[in-house]
Amino acid sequence: MIEVGIAVALVILGYIFGSAAERRHFKSIIKRERELNRLAAVATRFPPEDTAWRQQLVTGNVVIASDYFKTFTASLINIFGGKVTPFESLIDRARREAMLRMKADAQSLGAEYIFNVKYNTSRISQFGAGAIEVMAYGTALTPPE
Amino acid sequence: MLISNLEFLPGYKIKRHLGLVQGSSVRAKHVGRDLMATLKNIFGGELTAYTELLQDSREEATARLVEQATSIGANAVLNVRFSTSSIAAGAAEIFVYGTAVELEDD
Amino acid sequence: MDFENRQPREGINTTREHPLKRFMILLGSAAVLVTVLVVTLQLAGGWIARKIPFRYETMAIEQTSLELGSERPPAELVAWLNQLADKVSPGLELPADIEITVNYHHENVFNAFATIGGQLVFYRGLLTQMPNENALAMVMAHEIAHVLHRDPLAGLGGGLSSMLALATLTGQGGTGAAASLLNQTGLLTGVQFTRRMENNADTAALAAVNSVYGHINGADTLFVLTGAERDDSALPQWLERFASTHPLDGDRVRAIEKMAADAGYATTGKLTPLPAEYRQWLNED
Repeated sequence: MIEVGIAVALVILGYIFGSAAERRHFKSIIKRERELNRLAAVATRFPPEDTAWRQQLVTGNVVIASDYFKTFTASLINIFGGKVTPFESLIDRARREAMLRMKADAQSLGAEYIFNVKYNTSRISQFGAGAIEVMAYGTALTPPE
Repeated sequence: MLISNLEFLPGYKIKRHLGLVQGSSVRAKHVGRDLMATLKNIFGGELTAYTELLQDSREEATARLVEQATSIGANAVLNVRFSTSSIAAGAAEIFVYGTAVELEDD
Repeated sequence: MDFENRQPREGINTTREHPLKRFMILLGSAAVLVTVLVVTLQLAGGWIARKIPFRYETMAIEQTSLELGSERPPAELVAWLNQLADKVSPGLELPADIEITVNYHHENVFNAFATIGGQLVFYRGLLTQMPNENALAMVMAHEIAHVLHRDPLAGLGGGLSSMLALATLTGQGGTGAAASLLNQTGLLTGVQFTRRMENNADTAALAAVNSVYGHINGADTLFVLTGAERDDSALPQWLERFASTHPLDGDRVRAIEKMAADAGYATTGKLTPLPAEYRQWLNED
């Protein structure tokens, strides 16, 4: 009976704090995406050859933990199968955050474009849903001085 | 919507690059399938149920990629890459991304 | 070449649905699934247990070489307990192939139980509290009724298969909390069955005691005793009634009164005293 009480408390805490953090994070992501929008990032490998660009590898990474509510819901979904909706927003946040950090890196170099952008996703904790890491990397092109 | 993992499409000219678009889908299989998979692990062979699940998931991810590309007025996504990762016990994510472009006939 | 970075519409890669709604639906379906599963397995366990010939139970318990009871129990006490078992058995219409063996455990635990193979175990803690033979005969008849109904095997089969099914269902990673919540649901479903077993055993035992002594005076002693002991429970009564493996003591006393009234058992009558050496046997080491 105590176990059940603890579980309920953790789920409620996870829901309150987790969804508040998610709302805040999305708000901040959307704001920063607008600010960094002028910096084009593409998956294309061949940059325009008309300029002698300075090329530098830029990276951005983030590790995001799932909250208890998401993990709990996901383990219920595991019984029935189907879309794991609680993790969709989690991974969307992680991916966009990693992209923003990569862009911020490129911005500080004075870059104009990022080419050959790639993402790398991994689950870094074996316990429960734990945490996921997303890393974004690409080549920043800075105009010659 | 044209989707390709080529950089350039023969016969077309890229008019404009519109940035990165992406689609993702996280799915879990139900306990029954997990059990069958455990049994199958004894004998080996293809896990058809999982193949189908991941294929469904990939289709959804691609549909989301196309939706993103459409929403920014692109008519093709080039240099597309797929990636699969296990983000939690029993939940697999399919992720697809590429460059959204506006193509015109050469 | 022309490069720009257009921002796709929000919410394409996430699902627009209130997380609590999905959560509630999932939790409800999981609870229903677990309940249905445990009910099915318990019913199937009970049904199969009653189909298995009793001699397999006896063989199984012999195979395990399980030590029931104390190592060197007072021989006269054990002999007398077995005599009492034989005395109440006819009242239960025990089939010839079911053989009852009573074991004694020299430990101050207020308990007695029946296990597979017709083996009963009585603890010293319970025996010292018995004021007369009638009270003990009721406990004895109750445990024999469990054997007669094949409850130990049914409980074992239903319980084990439920545990296994729940472990498969919830063992797929995720939070331990989800697993423990579903396990609790399974346990709560399971105890509904054990309570029914207890009630059925009470009914059969009461009839047996009545046929042996001609009255049921003293039959409710055990529940009056345990009821007095457990009076200070922290849970509200309705919850305890739903969550316990056994019916509440007060309920059992009332049930006995009602059964007696319905079946026309005499509630008064001469109580049979325990053997003169009874206390002495219990104090032997």
